[in-house]
Amino acid sequence: MRIGLVSSAVPLIQGGGRFIVDWLAPKLIEAGHQVETIWIPQTDDPETLFQQMLAFRLIDLNDSCDRIITFRPPAHVIPHHNKIVWFIHHFRAFYDLWQTEYCAVPNTEYWKSFRRTLMAADTKALNEARKVYTNSAVVGRRLKQFNGIDSEVLYPPVMQPERYFSVGYSDSVVMICRFEHHKRQHLAVEAMKYVKTPVRLHIAGMSSGEEEKYVHLLRKTVMQHRLANRVTLDYRWISESEKISLLSSALAAAYVPLDEDSYGYPTVEAALASKCTITTSDAGGVREFVSDGVCGVITAADPRSLAEAFDRLWSNRKHAGELGSGARARVDELKISWADVVRRLTG
Amino acid sequence: MKVLVLTNMAPFVWGGAEELTHHLVVNLRLRGLEAEAFRIPFKFEPYERLVDEMFICKSLRLRNVDLVIALKFPAYLVPFENKVFWLLHQYRQAYDLWDAKQSNIPDTDRGRQVRRLIIENDNTCFSSRTKIYVNSKVTASRLKRYNGFDSEVLHPPLNDPELFSNVNDNGYIIAPGRVNGMKRQWLIVDAMRYLPRDTRLIVAGPPDSEEDATRLRRIIAEWNIEDRVKLDLRLIPRRELAELVGRSRCVAYAPVDEDSVSYVAMESFQCCKPVATTSDSGGVLHLVEHEHSGCVAQPDAKAFAQALAYLLENPERARKMGQAGHEQWRSRGINWPTTIDKLLAGRR
Repeated sequence: MRIGLVSSAVPLIQGGGRFIVDWLAPKLIEAGHQVETIWIPQTDDPETLFQQMLAFRLIDLNDSCDRIITFRPPAHVIPHHNKIVWFIHHFRAFYDLWQTEYCAVPNTEYWKSFRRTLMAADTKALNEARKVYTNSAVVGRRLKQFNGIDSEVLYPPVMQPERYFSVGYSDSVVMICRFEHHKRQHLAVEAMKYVKTPVRLHIAGMSSGEEEKYVHLLRKTVMQHRLANRVTLDYRWISESEKISLLSSALAAAYVPLDEDSYGYPTVEAALASKCTITTSDAGGVREFVSDGVCGVITAADPRSLAEAFDRLWSNRKHAGELGSGARARVDELKISWADVVRRLTG
Repeated sequence: MKVLVLTNMAPFVWGGAEELTHHLVVNLRLRGLEAEAFRIPFKFEPYERLVDEMFICKSLRLRNVDLVIALKFPAYLVPFENKVFWLLHQYRQAYDLWDAKQSNIPDTDRGRQVRRLIIENDNTCFSSRTKIYVNSKVTASRLKRYNGFDSEVLHPPLNDPELFSNVNDNGYIIAPGRVNGMKRQWLIVDAMRYLPRDTRLIVAGPPDSEEDATRLRRIIAEWNIEDRVKLDLRLIPRRELAELVGRSRCVAYAPVDEDSVSYVAMESFQCCKPVATTSDSGGVLHLVEHEHSGCVAQPDAKAFAQALAYLLENPERARKMGQAGHEQWRSRGINWPTTIDKLLAGRR
């Protein structure tokens, strides 16, 4: 089958919205399909949003592709006789974030009407799809709530799950994700002020340029509280091999973002290495994966509670191992696998 | 600096323009810039689609980009302040192919309207005080003639020059490149009937259609020249192609009014091989000089055969011509580092 993978993107920014497409393409090719990946530029500017959506609506891939799979909005509005939508989020400022601090649009009649029109357009386009999948239950619930659309959750796997392994449980809690304020590396760093065991923390990741200040702040905290011998701040893009190696011997992983849409790739990467994830009760989609005491630890979102969790796992490696095995089993339980993804997207 | 290369694409089609786009991005990255290419789908049939396609590109918006390098119609219409054009071509069916009555746009009221819309969009877009590079003199003169804009020729360089060298002279003629009616491999094959039985021609490239392949086979059968012509009709891997050219006596290339200097001629001169071509081959003639770096013949089989015969009978002369072609080509400075310099110099 000639499959077109179509998504919107902001050029030169890497992230989950790009990975889900880039990692899927080779798996479909392995399964014997022809694949063309199409990125259409897009901005969230509300003033031109409808015009941009209209451009997407006019794209015609009916002759050239036997099926299209769309991802980030507004790619789902592209008409096609055989369209599958793998929906990863709405234009959230007009949906669940409407009139919250994350919404820059004023609550006027114009924008209220704009919002209704956008919802109607989304609903129409989604109804044209042969099948709608979402990357998480949270997004699925929003589709039902706002658009009345039924969907199935299709969890996105990580790039090469088969490469992950475990060699045991060391002293280190690792945290591998982008340095961003809402990923809250600072909670983990501050937790290290309160730990009573020799547990260590290893944080690795890159950031977009705007977050350099945040990294600087973290460094300062480490210096001020003399944590340098137990906290490593690896501010760079680490390779897949390094990541896999780091996770293979970790005590556990920490992933404490604020209200994330999905479970997050770091959670699954840790689980594949049989490491549990320590997260917080306000982390959003992460809790779709992590259940407390089975395949991870859920604490309150404050440094002292995190510190207790770190200490508990350090003091009881056997328990860390049990939770790690639980996390590994959870990957299979949720059917997070490329074979499953390919089967459902091509069926 | 963040550079976005914008171009168009037809899904599942990969050719010279796609290779160029890929290597442009690679070479921008080698320069230490952040770069990637976005390829907007483009469909021009039925001709009414052209209106939609222009609207699509004009309606898209960009952010997180410092410079756009735009290669093709209509992708170059995407609005952006800091844009450099490197035109591989305009929509020729609204211009020279319209005049030649080879357009998919009909000469009706609506057809003329659509054509005018293309021209107006082009004119507006090009008049934005932006630097315009084009891939060949032919493209430059069309742009001047139809739209009135000056441009600077920036030949697309050879993507992988390191593969191509003069390996040996095994005495055969090679005709590389895509096989179709306009590329006129049929003329080259036809010429072989005038040459001695021990002459060898290899036609090496993928046919655009089965008819293009059949046409060559029919000529071979008709003149009973199976012993002289080998058809290797497939997309030849680059290394293998470099080897085939590098061991040949000369390259035969006779396209109808080619837009650019052509990769075939560049690869040939990179390997120090002379080129036999025809007087109506367009851009190829900007590189190939008669009796200096190759032979330029009238576009008929007999004349072309004479040109080939000269190169076959005078190996030493052929070698010198190939060497001259190589030096002349090198002196043109058509390579990636120079090309990137120029493109970046074109920005505001």
